[in-house]
Amino acid sequence: MAPAVAILAALTIAPAVYLLYSSFFDFTLLGTTPRQYTGFDNYQFVFTDGTVRHDLLITLAFVAIAVSLEMVLGLLIAVPLARRTLSNSIASTLLLVPFAMTPAVSALIWRQLLDPNFGWIDYYAGKLGVMGSPVEWLSHSSTAWVALVGLDVWQWTPFVALVLIAGLQGVDEEPRQAAAVDGATRWQQFRYVTLPLLMPFIAIALLLRVVEAFKTFATVNVLTGGGPGRSTELINLTIYRVALQDFSIGSAAALGVVFLILLLLIVPQILRLVTRHTDVLEAR
Amino acid sequence: MSIVDLPTTRRGFLRTTAAVSGGVIAGGGLWSSCSNDDSSGGGKPKTLNMLYATVEANSEAVKGVLGDYGKEFGIRLNMDTIPYDALQQKVFSELAAQSSNYDVMIVDTPWMPAIVGKIEPLGAYIKNAKVNDKAKVDTEDFIPKVFYDTAVYDAKQSHVHFPDSEGPPDVDGIRAKNFDIYGLPIQANALTMSYRTDLFDDAKEKAAFKSQTGKDLAVPATWDDFTAVSKFFTRPDQKLWGSTLMAGVGDWSTDDFKTLLASYGGDGHLVTDDFKIAFNTPEGVEALTYYTDLINSDKVTPPGTTSASWDTVTNTFGSGLTAMGFNYHNMALKPNVEGAVSYATVPKKVQEGPHFGTWMLSIPKTAKNKDWAYRTIAWLTSSDVQSKMLSKQLHPTRVSVYDRAASDAAVKKAFGNFYEVLGKSLEVGVGRARLTNYGDVSNAVAVAVNKAATGSQSPKDALASAAGETENALKQAGYL
Repeated sequence: MAPAVAILAALTIAPAVYLLYSSFFDFTLLGTTPRQYTGFDNYQFVFTDGTVRHDLLITLAFVAIAVSLEMVLGLLIAVPLARRTLSNSIASTLLLVPFAMTPAVSALIWRQLLDPNFGWIDYYAGKLGVMGSPVEWLSHSSTAWVALVGLDVWQWTPFVALVLIAGLQGVDEEPRQAAAVDGATRWQQFRYVTLPLLMPFIAIALLLRVVEAFKTFATVNVLTGGGPGRSTELINLTIYRVALQDFSIGSAAALGVVFLILLLLIVPQILRLVTRHTDVLEAR
Repeated sequence: MSIVDLPTTRRGFLRTTAAVSGGVIAGGGLWSSCSNDDSSGGGKPKTLNMLYATVEANSEAVKGVLGDYGKEFGIRLNMDTIPYDALQQKVFSELAAQSSNYDVMIVDTPWMPAIVGKIEPLGAYIKNAKVNDKAKVDTEDFIPKVFYDTAVYDAKQSHVHFPDSEGPPDVDGIRAKNFDIYGLPIQANALTMSYRTDLFDDAKEKAAFKSQTGKDLAVPATWDDFTAVSKFFTRPDQKLWGSTLMAGVGDWSTDDFKTLLASYGGDGHLVTDDFKIAFNTPEGVEALTYYTDLINSDKVTPPGTTSASWDTVTNTFGSGLTAMGFNYHNMALKPNVEGAVSYATVPKKVQEGPHFGTWMLSIPKTAKNKDWAYRTIAWLTSSDVQSKMLSKQLHPTRVSVYDRAASDAAVKKAFGNFYEVLGKSLEVGVGRARLTNYGDVSNAVAVAVNKAATGSQSPKDALASAAGETENALKQAGYL
């Protein structure tokens, strides 16, 4: 037990403590200027800077919209694919493709697909009569959001689906059959029997997706660069600029700490909400 | 020890792992020291290590002369090439760690204000005849603006430009003013205009332009002419537009804007050496209004302009969608597009001021083989070697290399008038503000340009917002 705790502390707690410590100083990675204690100045920057506030809100909105869509669509895909058949096995294997792809590569492909001059999406939409003139997807806030969320949903819905397929395949059939004997409709069987039993898997998928979605960087950096304007500027773009372009480590550390606290506040709430029904079920 | 003898207890496993790791580290260190075993005491090393960029600084051109370098020096020059985003982090982390992994590093201009204290000043080396035995450094041959903007710094005040950037660079004059030289420029990029000669030289097009405007069709030298020519060539039904612009969020839109700002009579550096914001001015508003009008009122740019970057513009122009375009390199048509391309300097309003930025080769203060590193960068940036690299499209930094390019039939055949145009552009180019967080300023301006271009803010409001953000960034960096 002791070595495991030591490794865990070295890998997680120590960096977090150093991050917190660094956030109270003004210094650059290069050490060309002396490290200066600045108290809460870096936090004042985080809480008063309009761009940072805007980026945090944008990030929250992105996570809420993208992950909600992924959970719903993932469940819709998982239910029909949960039956063990050859075609479902092939389909499940194909689901691996989107999230096995490097985020930067998938963003580059999407950028090409959405190009108003050469992209397939505008071309075929025009051919099919869906769109009259090319849509400049990445030039307007609303369409850029569609593109960004669409890319995330395309990439990560299969992951959610695979987790839920595994969950559905492990659900005991007996309670559902008993409900059917008692006259429950298919919807009632799903809603009141299957779904509660699936909740632990939904919680796992949701937790992993929320954490990953908060960490989104490569896709947004390549696809929109935060634009148009700052409309898709997720907080990680700002942290990247402050930390790895300006090398202003104190400010970046303060941003990181605030972001970490935000995650620590949000994630348990989500878990509590999702697992509430499971706990009730287990208590019975 | 055979595999069956491997310890199976946890303690044994840990002990073995530690022993193996220690062996690997010790072995690596031994190998590393052996590979540079002649480096101590300033002796000639067997190898030198150079950190370089990729396409941004034309790594292929440098790779092309490594064979000659080996013959000349009897040293193997290992060249690590890393793409731009990762390169900055690599350079900064190597300098922060005070590592001696690299003897030579490529440095981009906007990084210098932050790292100048970690870079070896070269003034003393340039004056030392002993280390100038392999190549003639001849600082006066460098394009003055390029040299002063890229390599000349006062380490104690890294935000200050050298007061006179017009005269031939003179080491004594530079050092007399408490500045020094922190690298030798190798690749200079400037914004230039590419245009379709097949369209401009077409008799029917000339006649049509004359009948429409009463003027002769010519490559635009002023922004007013540029608008007229762009409007003339804009024919969406034929999938042809006047010009590309790089209005997406990124350094490229800042560069587009600062070029226009300078040509409208403003200060293209965006922020002055005494931290005054120089873009939220009547000239700035006028320049940005002109820029956004091209996109929104005149509609002379193709779809996607407000999300375009330098690489998408290359693709758009190369696919034959526009008659003109601006970029940091010589754009060409794709093989499946009929036509021909020539180059011109960026149009002007009251003066010229295309954005430029240069890569230089520098020596980290912690490098092991500084004398040989200096000889290496002096050789790589020398007139003869830069001339050899022309065939691989190096963007030279020396006046003499541009002179040679102008009289070299093979170069003219391969690249047309590009080098003539690039040389002229560099002579009048405008660099960046020297700030440790120039990225924040550039980002604020890029967002403003993009917001104005997409119509979500007026040019005046967008620049005012960017000025506010820039002021915060300057305060955050401790300048105000």
